[in-house]
Amino acid sequence: MGKSKQTGNHKSDKKKNIAKTWKTKRRTKDLDQIHDDMKPDNAARLLKQEPDYDVTGCAQFYCLHCARYFVDLKTMKEHFKTKVHKKRLKELRVEPYTQAEAERAAGMGSYVPPQSVHVQTQPVEEEMS
Amino acid sequence: MRIEKCYFCSGPVYPGHGMMFVRNDCKVFRFCKSKCHKNFKKKRNPRKTRWTKAFRKSAGKELTVDNSLEFEKRRSIPVKYQRELWNKTVEAMKRVEEIKQKRQAQFIVNRLKKGRELEKSEAISEVKKNIHLIRAPHAAKAKKMEEKMVQKLQEDVEMGED
Repeated sequence: MGKSKQTGNHKSDKKKNIAKTWKTKRRTKDLDQIHDDMKPDNAARLLKQEPDYDVTGCAQFYCLHCARYFVDLKTMKEHFKTKVHKKRLKELRVEPYTQAEAERAAGMGSYVPPQSVHVQTQPVEEEMS
Repeated sequence: MRIEKCYFCSGPVYPGHGMMFVRNDCKVFRFCKSKCHKNFKKKRNPRKTRWTKAFRKSAGKELTVDNSLEFEKRRSIPVKYQRELWNKTVEAMKRVEEIKQKRQAQFIVNRLKKGRELEKSEAISEVKKNIHLIRAPHAAKAKKMEEKMVQKLQEDVEMGED
């Protein structure tokens, strides 16, 4: 487990202003929130949303693990093949970090190593039309 | 008064210090210093950040499972003040801390032992591999050769006399 090899974020054309992305104003979902979303009830609710015209793709194409909306099925399928998505799946395979774990690490009780969780890309229904 | 633990680095957060962040789902995060808060905002994983307690414990750098760690707990039960109990508790805390320190130090000493052994065996194998740098391979042979040469010379001389 070394340091991350990601460098050159500040000059990247894709991320024009990374300092802005760190502001709480633009905070995206945390991993523990996504773990919450992955529970069957929540997942079903998120994957079958009512058409909302304010959201990308009318909220019909939602990647559960990356918490992102897509324009159509094709782009979403493309997204499933990307590094970003695969990396996210890998990050989700361990139990989320909690305040309880922080306290155990601080010496309040014995430390219990995190469990692994089975995570898979959501199934995509093929619509014949 | 309660001394909270930092969400990111597990350090103590004293009243009036640090920062509290309440996420839009009402979950509360406390940070001991701006460094921890910034790292949290960047979505860093405390388990993979080298300087946090969570990293040190999950990577097996520190004592994780021990009875001496079981005393400090979040007890949400109010206890009425009793002088005797108070005195005893303070005494016990000191003793527990002493034992804990000792065990943690011993754990680290034991952990480092293995590295020292490996270092030693590596050094020995390196010397064995590169022995030719210390002693020339024919250094011992030369002396033998010299003796042989002397013998041969003597024989030659004797032969010449005859």
